[in-house]
Amino acid sequence: MAHDTDPRVLIVGAGPAGLAAAHALARQGVGGILVIDRDDAPGGLPRFCHHPGFGLEYARWPYTGPGFVKRLLHDLKGADVRIACRTTLLSLRAGPEVEVVGPSTGLRWIRPETVILATGIRESNRGNLAIPGGRAESGILTTGQLQQIVARKVALPKRLKSIIVVGTEHVAFSAIWTARNAGLRVTAMIGGEDRIMSFAPFGGLARLLGTAVMTQSRIREIEAKDGAVVAAIIETPAGTRRLPTDGVVFTANWIPETAALAGGPVALDPRTAGPTIDQAMRTSTRGIFAAGNVLHGVESSGWCANEGRHAGDMAARFLRGEIDGNQAGARIELSPDLDFIVPQLWNGAGGLPFNLRMTADVGGRKLALTVGETILWSGDRRRLLRRRRISFRPAAEKAPCDGAAMLHLID
Amino acid sequence: MTYDIAIIGGGVVGTAIARELSRYDLKTVLVEARSELGDEASKGNSALMCSGVDVPAGSLERRLVRRGYARYCAEAPAMGLPIRKVGAIVLAWNEEQEATLDKDLADARENGFAAEALGSTEVYRRWPHFGPGIRCGLWLPDEAIVDPFSTPHAYALDALENGVEIRRAWRVQRAEPAAQGWRLHGPDGQLEARCVVNAGGIRGDEVDALAGHSDFAIRPRRGQYMILDKSASAIHDVIAMPAPTPTTRGILIAPTIFGNVLVGPTAEDVTDRDDRRVTEDGLRQLRHAIATIAPVLADQPVNTIFAGMRPATQFRDYQIIPRLSQRWLTVGGIRSTGLSASLGIAEHVVGLLIPALFDAPRKPNTRPITVPDLSEAAQRPWQDTARIHCDPDYAEMVCHCERISLGEIRDALASPLAPSTLNGLKRRTRAMFGRCQGFYCGARVQALLDAQVP
Repeated sequence: MAHDTDPRVLIVGAGPAGLAAAHALARQGVGGILVIDRDDAPGGLPRFCHHPGFGLEYARWPYTGPGFVKRLLHDLKGADVRIACRTTLLSLRAGPEVEVVGPSTGLRWIRPETVILATGIRESNRGNLAIPGGRAESGILTTGQLQQIVARKVALPKRLKSIIVVGTEHVAFSAIWTARNAGLRVTAMIGGEDRIMSFAPFGGLARLLGTAVMTQSRIREIEAKDGAVVAAIIETPAGTRRLPTDGVVFTANWIPETAALAGGPVALDPRTAGPTIDQAMRTSTRGIFAAGNVLHGVESSGWCANEGRHAGDMAARFLRGEIDGNQAGARIELSPDLDFIVPQLWNGAGGLPFNLRMTADVGGRKLALTVGETILWSGDRRRLLRRRRISFRPAAEKAPCDGAAMLHLID
Repeated sequence: MTYDIAIIGGGVVGTAIARELSRYDLKTVLVEARSELGDEASKGNSALMCSGVDVPAGSLERRLVRRGYARYCAEAPAMGLPIRKVGAIVLAWNEEQEATLDKDLADARENGFAAEALGSTEVYRRWPHFGPGIRCGLWLPDEAIVDPFSTPHAYALDALENGVEIRRAWRVQRAEPAAQGWRLHGPDGQLEARCVVNAGGIRGDEVDALAGHSDFAIRPRRGQYMILDKSASAIHDVIAMPAPTPTTRGILIAPTIFGNVLVGPTAEDVTDRDDRRVTEDGLRQLRHAIATIAPVLADQPVNTIFAGMRPATQFRDYQIIPRLSQRWLTVGGIRSTGLSASLGIAEHVVGLLIPALFDAPRKPNTRPITVPDLSEAAQRPWQDTARIHCDPDYAEMVCHCERISLGEIRDALASPLAPSTLNGLKRRTRAMFGRCQGFYCGARVQALLDAQVP
């Protein structure tokens, strides 16, 4: 692709969603695809996760993180897709017009026919969570930072021999895996809920490996001395405990990466903090699609790749003039016990199931989608757990074409 | 070899004195205990350049803050140091505060400071996001925000370029009288100087004790801060603070030169000068200040929390003690206005030493230096198409939140007075300062540092 010609399709982010979107477009015969990624190699977060469990929903195989990335890149062999790493999305306007900077692109505006945003997500850190305590120059990390330190073979701080992990989602176990392989002792994992948010057997496994699993607990303070972490103060149902440790790794509390969208035309959903989309993965700005974890609190890499594939398919149909570039559908309003839903707009177009999260665990009730008094759809599950993905597919023909539908719980 | 002057302490005051002395034909050395300059009181402050209007009238502090402010405005731009005169609004919610503002306005007018009384309607017209109940405000248009990290670095670089020797990680362990002044013992040997300037900041009393002096004791005052994400600066772009009470200046909310919003400081007298803890109570006070002054900021994301330590003493004013006969000059108790007063203090101190102690001529020429302008309002290297065309490293972002390029990090690591720690590198480039605090770039930045610093 020549330097000064604009690509037909610009995909922002070369993680699972972006790479799968590129593959879907290429498979449908679309050429002139440019994938940009601000990191120094493609793959997104999975490339730093050297353990199995990646790509299952997409590729029916539990790859390692780097293995899944390799597979996604292999799928692109021979396609008219260029991946430009070290290249940053700066801002975005209707058109679409995209401002980027990078060693190969320079600083310029790109005017592609369509854009797919797949910019991913990050974890909350100690500052975001405002956890008080002492000042440490090292030893306070997020999983992402720990994984990159290990994957890039950067030396860990000399004084760091043991850590505690805050959080009990899948990523917390990824942190434990990474830490143990780097020779760190993981003395405890701390979670606020009454159970582990990842698969229950993982908790037993962690205990077997010598990690104390502390549920219904929270980290209240980090103690530091001479610039190094020495202990964490934990509130547990049995009272306050002081756990000696050299480090604290904060996991999860995901935040979609939307900095380049600030002040731009793409509407964000206050509940997810990511772009609002319809079932065709269209954002509020014509010709701009979105996929992957920028849309929601964390989903597996396979799920994200499936979203990317769907976004790629929809973008290809848009380029062929088969679907409109404008977002369409009825907005799904949520009752307060529901945390977020993606997509936020329902237009009966099919595609991926809806992905819902609860604000708290709910038992003995079920979900219902209603317009006025009319129930359009109701679920059959009666136990709904917080932070677990709840997927459902209401019948397409029932979708109202505009206005709003209400999703809430009924007895 | 014997130096004319040894400065102990490489904070904003010590480096400013070093820069000032570099203008004279003297052999000067600056020694800093820590491996980075500006690594104690100079790094954890409100980053304001105060005109002196809110410093007690008649004090040495006011005189030196005022002079420091004037000089900073005149000299900082040539060094590449940014200043934004965003102005300050001092707010009153009750009659007592209103009376304070009346007094402050009268004092400001009498002493020639710019100040304007604003009624409640005008306050809310200018800043509609302020919380309810404000009765009036005092507008101080000259108050400014600056880069607190680049300032001591620029002073030190200037001093170095003009002949001052700078030793880092050189903690003075012992001082003894020598034939011509003092012999200072450090980690790798000793040096002799005809005169010592103690700019020991938070450890100023300990440094004075090396020479047997105990005129003041440091009573460390901790200030906790919260930094809000860039989105907050679109809402709040003024230094806002409550009218002071007899005990404290109160917690302010101010934009930072890097495009964030800062909330703080608390004012807590602590016993341990290294106890830079953030506490639940401190965070509560900061959140209360937000709820009172600008409640709309309450749901802005917090990037980081930290605490700084002000080197207060039992006295209200600066403790600048020229013991010229003993060749030991102490610059102590520079509590919270050190950044603003730094160039004023430097001029004052050098005026005490020259010509009384050293009849040194002023050098005919000064070699200029510039440091990278790290302010958000400046043109960032990646925005400079010509620059990135010549060197594509400026187009490759390493720190994505602050948009700091590989080129900038490389330059900092290759510069004179290069940082040797991650925190030093952060303060020199802004890398890792942002909302992700290293989630994305921490490992890469560390790798770049490790490649340079064995």
